[in-house]
Amino acid sequence: MSGGEGSDLEDYPSIRDTDSEDEESGSSENEGELNTSRNDGLAIDHGNEEESDSSGLHEAVEESDSSEDDEVAPRNTIGAVPLEWYRDEKHIGYDLTGKKIKKKEREDKLQSFLASADDSKNWRKFLDEYNDEEVEVTKEDMKTINRLLEGKAPHGDFDPYAPYVDWFKWDDSKHPLSNAPEPKRRFIPSKSESKLVKRLVLAIRKGLIKPTKDEEEEEESVYPLWGDDSNSTEKDGSHLSYIPAPKPKLPGYEESFNPPPEFIPTQEEIDAYQLMYEEDRPKFIPKRFTSMRSIPAYENAIKECFERCLDLYLCPRVRKKRINIDPESLKPKLPSRKDLKPYPVKCYLEYRGHKDTVTSVSTEASGQWIASGSSDGTVRIWEVETGRCLKLWEIGEAVTYVAWNPNPEYSVLAVSVGQDVLILNTGFGNEEVQKKTKELLSAERPTTPDDTATFVSWIQDETHEGTRLRHFKTVSSVEWHRRGDYFSTVVPADILFSVKISYMLSLSLPLSHITHSLFLHDPISHLLAFS
Amino acid sequence: MVKKKHYRPAGKKKEGNAARFVTRSQAVKQLQVNLPLFRKLCILKGIFPREPKKKVKGNHHTYYHLKDVSFIQHEPLLGKMRDIRAYEKKVKKAEAKKNRDRAIILRQRRSTYKLDKVILQRYPKFIDALRDLDDCLTMVHLFAALPAIEDRIDVKRIHNCRRMSHEWQAFISRTHKLRKVFVSVKGIYYQAEVKGQLITWLTPHPLQQVLTDDVDFNIMLNFLEFYEALLAFVNCHLYRSINVKYPPILDPRLEAFAAELYALSRYFDASSRSSVLDPQVSSLPGSSKVDESELRLAQLQYQLPANEPGALMGLVENVPGEDEEDNDTMMCKELFKDMKFFLNREVNRESLLFVIPAFGGIVSWKGDGAPFEEDDNSITHQIVDRPLQHELCEGRKYVQPQWVYDCVNAKKILPTRDYLAGRELPPHLSPFVDPKEEGYVPDYALKIEQWKASEILPLPDVGKEDLEDPQNFADLEKAKEAAKNDKKLKALQKEYFDGLKVELNGVPPSSSISKTDNQISAKATEDREESDPDYEQIAKDKEELELLTISKKKRGLYEAMKKGKKRKHDNVEVIKERKRKLKESQKSRDG
Repeated sequence: MSGGEGSDLEDYPSIRDTDSEDEESGSSENEGELNTSRNDGLAIDHGNEEESDSSGLHEAVEESDSSEDDEVAPRNTIGAVPLEWYRDEKHIGYDLTGKKIKKKEREDKLQSFLASADDSKNWRKFLDEYNDEEVEVTKEDMKTINRLLEGKAPHGDFDPYAPYVDWFKWDDSKHPLSNAPEPKRRFIPSKSESKLVKRLVLAIRKGLIKPTKDEEEEEESVYPLWGDDSNSTEKDGSHLSYIPAPKPKLPGYEESFNPPPEFIPTQEEIDAYQLMYEEDRPKFIPKRFTSMRSIPAYENAIKECFERCLDLYLCPRVRKKRINIDPESLKPKLPSRKDLKPYPVKCYLEYRGHKDTVTSVSTEASGQWIASGSSDGTVRIWEVETGRCLKLWEIGEAVTYVAWNPNPEYSVLAVSVGQDVLILNTGFGNEEVQKKTKELLSAERPTTPDDTATFVSWIQDETHEGTRLRHFKTVSSVEWHRRGDYFSTVVPADILFSVKISYMLSLSLPLSHITHSLFLHDPISHLLAFS
Repeated sequence: MVKKKHYRPAGKKKEGNAARFVTRSQAVKQLQVNLPLFRKLCILKGIFPREPKKKVKGNHHTYYHLKDVSFIQHEPLLGKMRDIRAYEKKVKKAEAKKNRDRAIILRQRRSTYKLDKVILQRYPKFIDALRDLDDCLTMVHLFAALPAIEDRIDVKRIHNCRRMSHEWQAFISRTHKLRKVFVSVKGIYYQAEVKGQLITWLTPHPLQQVLTDDVDFNIMLNFLEFYEALLAFVNCHLYRSINVKYPPILDPRLEAFAAELYALSRYFDASSRSSVLDPQVSSLPGSSKVDESELRLAQLQYQLPANEPGALMGLVENVPGEDEEDNDTMMCKELFKDMKFFLNREVNRESLLFVIPAFGGIVSWKGDGAPFEEDDNSITHQIVDRPLQHELCEGRKYVQPQWVYDCVNAKKILPTRDYLAGRELPPHLSPFVDPKEEGYVPDYALKIEQWKASEILPLPDVGKEDLEDPQNFADLEKAKEAAKNDKKLKALQKEYFDGLKVELNGVPPSSSISKTDNQISAKATEDREESDPDYEQIAKDKEELELLTISKKKRGLYEAMKKGKKRKHDNVEVIKERKRKLKESQKSRDG
């Protein structure tokens, strides 16, 4: 087909040549027109003798036709039958002599694709299935097609607006084709048109029809929006504070296209990721590329951008104070042990003598003596400064508690042993003190029919020269009042006794919990118990 | 006891969170818009949900502040959007009635809206806009690399994005504001400092992007609409600030060669010249220094065809420097001074055309419109990204593109030895990592630091040996210590359990505890150095005591912080472990 087109092109200039020759020899009256219409074959023809020229043209056309026929001369002669009939055959049809035309071998798709990728003209090629050959549309063909699509004449040389040359020669003819006079409407302006114009004018005046906007005007929409920053507009309080979105996290070493080798997980580690929960799995697995050229497009680029968008407009924003402190600063400051000096660092004195665990120690009010009770059943009194054992009571039962009377007027020690509380005379102090102490201890104990009597019984203890208070259950501790008038005992079986020595008055309180230690407050009415 | 239900009298208004916060559906109802329009308005106005202290309607709702909602309600855009919607119906109607002419006319007269007021409202100061520019730039750069999709992304928008991204890059490059570049798998991160604001953005690699179906392009396009407008205004402001007319007029030829950046830089050059020439606009400081002949030369060169003048880029250097330039900018400007680069066909031209001039280098490329050709003798570096095939030119170094980026991040010209074409590259490190926070510094970072510290660049081999050995030792020591600690911990644990058993058996606790304590301390003293065992013990005791005395509220925080630290530490440990293994395997291979 392309060949045919070429021959066509060759043909036309030849016509023109002959024409131009004719022109020169032609009559002078058409010269002006001819100059203007140099490419219009038709117009040219009629400037000359009709017959010869038209025959010439005809010939030329015939020639071109025949040449086209020659070229296109259908190799295939099957006619307008559906091509499917030959799909499974090895031939596509028959040529003029009746021989089979064999199908050509097709290139496979890959090859044809590669060929097409290399060939820039590929888009112009197509396959003529009827003749089984590849046809290339030439540029000229494209032009023709484009013109046809635009509704123009197929040939670019054709000038649709060439001045009209009447082929009919009126000079000799006696009768015009139509003898009718020109109608009146050819001379008066159209009424309907004027109506339309009137309407448009009115609409334009009223502003109903606006001129179309230029696109360039819109382009001018960018202008310096912010003036100098000096004219700072203060924020009015009516709006809420704008919380800027947090900036995305900046990439670390692992996101590099060429990270340090220690950042790339080994194959085992990558496999181990599969065993993790989906949330725990690392989002990004570092990879190494040997050169920048080999980095592929990131497959999640759009998705990540979209997620960021969602975060920006869907996530509630709250201003939160980020505590950027060292966790160690949260701990309270404790004084260092060095600052607490002086404190004893060496063993200075040892009070030796007890054979079992010492359960309780009590200091005398003056600070000269210590009493200690041990589970080997002895109570000893030591001199603090020397460590000498001054007194020893063999009580026989494990001592649970010892307590000095804080009143310096009496020299009395309370010892709790099993169910008993022993009140012992230590034998220290001057005579006056001794006298008072003995008086106190030897005082007659009334056996009043009190409630307390059922709990406590007063017994004079001869062996230790003291008084024994027998409780109904084991006593765990004894505590003196600061003045030395009262003391209280704790019986873990939920009851607390308070005994007033001098007035021989005692009371008992039920306690909900087992009491461990006591404190007798100065006004007698208060008693603190700790459990 | 059952709490009495709160009773509000009929006429009384709501108070507190119930009055201040509304759910999204309530907001939509109040505004009388549909959800997509509500979303769009939220995106344009920058309104986000807020978290009330008490969620009155339940936990699964998103809450908007009532003030935010009324902020939208009073927005003129809302009315405009409604009008546009009504107008669209008109067009549709005309089309349905097959009144094509009317539809065309109506479509032509479609009204548009502008976002300038909204932008000014959101960012009353220019600095505010710069602060929020990260996402904007990332998105615009992404869309500049996307293909146009029918019915979804318009070609025009993509071209617009492309143009604006180039305008931004041209400004940054021209004013030498670029600070850091990082080539990651996701794309190339750039960080620039404009008016004291650090702006980081990501550009995708110049390849065909992978389009996914699971994103809602409408939302992205809404964002893009705002970002496009914002970036246009920001660019305009920035261009005005350096006395350049804003919508730049580019050389169409260069544009056709897809070298817009270069075209822009030429435009800058020309406009700065013209502004200098113009007597009224002589606000550019130091403009008087430039003499007339040079001006004429530059102007002539501007008029010359694009591919001829090579010296033009050099002239950019001589443009009167702004006084307000800080030290950093000066340093960036001087980095690639007196260097001439040539980019091979396979390298990422857009990125390097942006980066190299930003640091004061002169660059050309293989292709049409290039300022100078490959056979130029003054070229000092040729950037190659594949093994060399043809013969080399004398007097120039063939380096891989990573060298440029590493130099930029180190702010120092690194030795090209490791980066020569065909060599295996040293690791490319992120400039955004704070080594203190990370707790791990790769070898190469140390090496670069050393280079930076010493003015004379040492031979890379020597430096390597020096560096690696101490690191090794330190690692080993640490590992030993860790092992020791482990042992001790186990011993302690055992003691503790033994003590518990003894206690359970009924033996008086005091003696056994004291015994274990003694044992522990003895163990501890054995494990530690013999010199001052007491001090160690004291420290340990103190720590325990402090932990005991810490308040309950703070203890939770303390433990969480400890946990975070531990996680970080573990990560570092994993990396170190990997490194050790790599070293071992390498040694075994060598040996």
